[in-house]
Amino acid sequence: MNNIKLKNICKAYGKTVVVKDLSLEVQQGERLILLGPSGCGKTTTLRMIAGLEAITSGELEINGRVVNAMPPGERNIAMVFQSYALFPHLTVWENVVFGLKIQKLSSEEIKKRAAEAMGMLNLVGYEQHRPNELSGGQKQRVALCRALVKQSPYFLLDEPLSNLDAQLRQQARTELVKIHEIFKPTMVYVTHDQTEAMTVAHKIAVLNKGCLQQVGTPNEIYNNPANTFVAGFIGTPPMNLLKAHLLYDKIFVGNECLVLPTEYRAIIGERTTVVLGIRPERCLLEHSPMVKARISFIENLGNQRIARWQLKTGEEIYVSTADHKYALELAKGFSFEWANVCFFDTKSGENLNVKGSVIKDENCC
Amino acid sequence: MKINKLKSLWHLPLLLALAVQFWPLIFMVSTSFKDMNQIFQASLNPLPMPATMVNYETVLNNFPFFTFLYNTFFIAILVTGLKLITSLLAAFAFVYYDFKYKEVVFNSMLLTFFIPFTVLIMPNYLLMSKLGLLNTPWGVILPQLVDGMGIFLMRQTMRGIPKALLEVAVLESASPLQVLYKVVLHLVRPSVIAVGIFFFINAWNEYFWPLLVLRDKAMYTLPLALQMFISAEGGSEWGIAMAVAMLTCLPPLILYFVSQRFILNTFMQSGVKG
Repeated sequence: MNNIKLKNICKAYGKTVVVKDLSLEVQQGERLILLGPSGCGKTTTLRMIAGLEAITSGELEINGRVVNAMPPGERNIAMVFQSYALFPHLTVWENVVFGLKIQKLSSEEIKKRAAEAMGMLNLVGYEQHRPNELSGGQKQRVALCRALVKQSPYFLLDEPLSNLDAQLRQQARTELVKIHEIFKPTMVYVTHDQTEAMTVAHKIAVLNKGCLQQVGTPNEIYNNPANTFVAGFIGTPPMNLLKAHLLYDKIFVGNECLVLPTEYRAIIGERTTVVLGIRPERCLLEHSPMVKARISFIENLGNQRIARWQLKTGEEIYVSTADHKYALELAKGFSFEWANVCFFDTKSGENLNVKGSVIKDENCC
Repeated sequence: MKINKLKSLWHLPLLLALAVQFWPLIFMVSTSFKDMNQIFQASLNPLPMPATMVNYETVLNNFPFFTFLYNTFFIAILVTGLKLITSLLAAFAFVYYDFKYKEVVFNSMLLTFFIPFTVLIMPNYLLMSKLGLLNTPWGVILPQLVDGMGIFLMRQTMRGIPKALLEVAVLESASPLQVLYKVVLHLVRPSVIAVGIFFFINAWNEYFWPLLVLRDKAMYTLPLALQMFISAEGGSEWGIAMAVAMLTCLPPLILYFVSQRFILNTFMQSGVKG
């Protein structure tokens, strides 16, 4: 079982704690994405797994063995760096076979592995080029190729696509997933790009300020965020978060009094205030809306339009619609289905649905 | 770029300074091609009329010039090579390893800059004497093998290498020496060459320390041999002395011109990050 297990991992530089009590498990062949804003400790976590950063406390297990003290070279891990870290004095071929030569593999084996990987990544013909003669996308592929030829069961990637332009990034991540499907290594992938996370991951771990916020499939994370941070971080535009007041079975959203069905009242318990979370695309535009509001701004993205609404309370929300014929200017407000709403605790920001799980994740596999 | 006329007036003192700098060199070159009569003419004519090769012939035929040349080369090359090795190894350790009191150790090493050479003469001399290395090339070489300046310069360059490049090698289970040899050395090559030239010229021109250590004339280096012709030994044969001076200057000059092209080349190659 080539799994990676983090048990209560902490990392501190002096008194600054960067990663707090992180416990995670990556199964063999799984693609785990560490997602979070910059400075959340995701790269530090990856570097601890690689052995490039010492672990302050906690245990790191690779394949069932505690490897806290094992030097990076002995962990048999392949890693792709954000900067690609190609050696400028070596050709593409020499870069790719660098590690294999140090491991003293036979020259036939080296040739076989490198040729195979370079063929797979469309690098044939570039063997004698130096890194400075390559485009960003090619450099990225060389870096990936160098990691591939190692044929390691563990694959660590540190924001591998962040230096590519948007179009190339999409192409590269599709390639990356394809390659992973062929070799099926245990993969940990760091990114701050949620689209990348949603498309590549089997499982996403969202981090903020060194603390793990939620681990789950992309669908779980998207539809049932564990707290307001995850809700506000995932999705463009992110989940709308609205303050609401409760009185018996009435709930006040944007100064509108709505009737709250009893099953949801049970989740909220005795609370008198709560935060409502609604995805922009789950808001319905109707002529007789539940919540009245006026549009302050419309963005047309081609495939959809995003409208910014101002509620009577002054709060702003985003509503997106793919219906091009709909006259947004005439809309008077929006409605929603209670089943599509997440309830968060006002103080802790925790999702009240998660434990009770009234909302079913329809798309979850 | 256009040069402002008024501003170009500032070039005058510079030109003057240049002339002062070059004056002795011009006389060295011209005197080496003059015979005795011309040398002692009162005029400051820098052109030898007629030019003669007599001085050079005398140096090459009557003196063990090539022995001196060999001695100097032997010492200068060994000092340069070994000093580069110690500088590279020490600088690499300061960059690659994290150890307690690293900064303290490094800073105290920098302090050695402030110890004047003359202070070290006595202890070094005694040490060489106890080791029985007086009057041998090794006595000249040994005390020069470690240099704070070299370590400092190499460390500064190595700090500019992106850490990820070293980490790639570490993840491939490269040993520290492999990291140094296969990665770092290639990336700092221009600096190694520049520092190497600097070391070589210093070692080549070294006068005082060899003067103390070497007694036997067969051991002399060129700067030492030079004074033989000026002092009573050669009877102040200015023409011959200048010819020797010319020949002493040539090797570092040639080395500099040859490697200058190489330095420029490597700088251009390393102009791109990985």
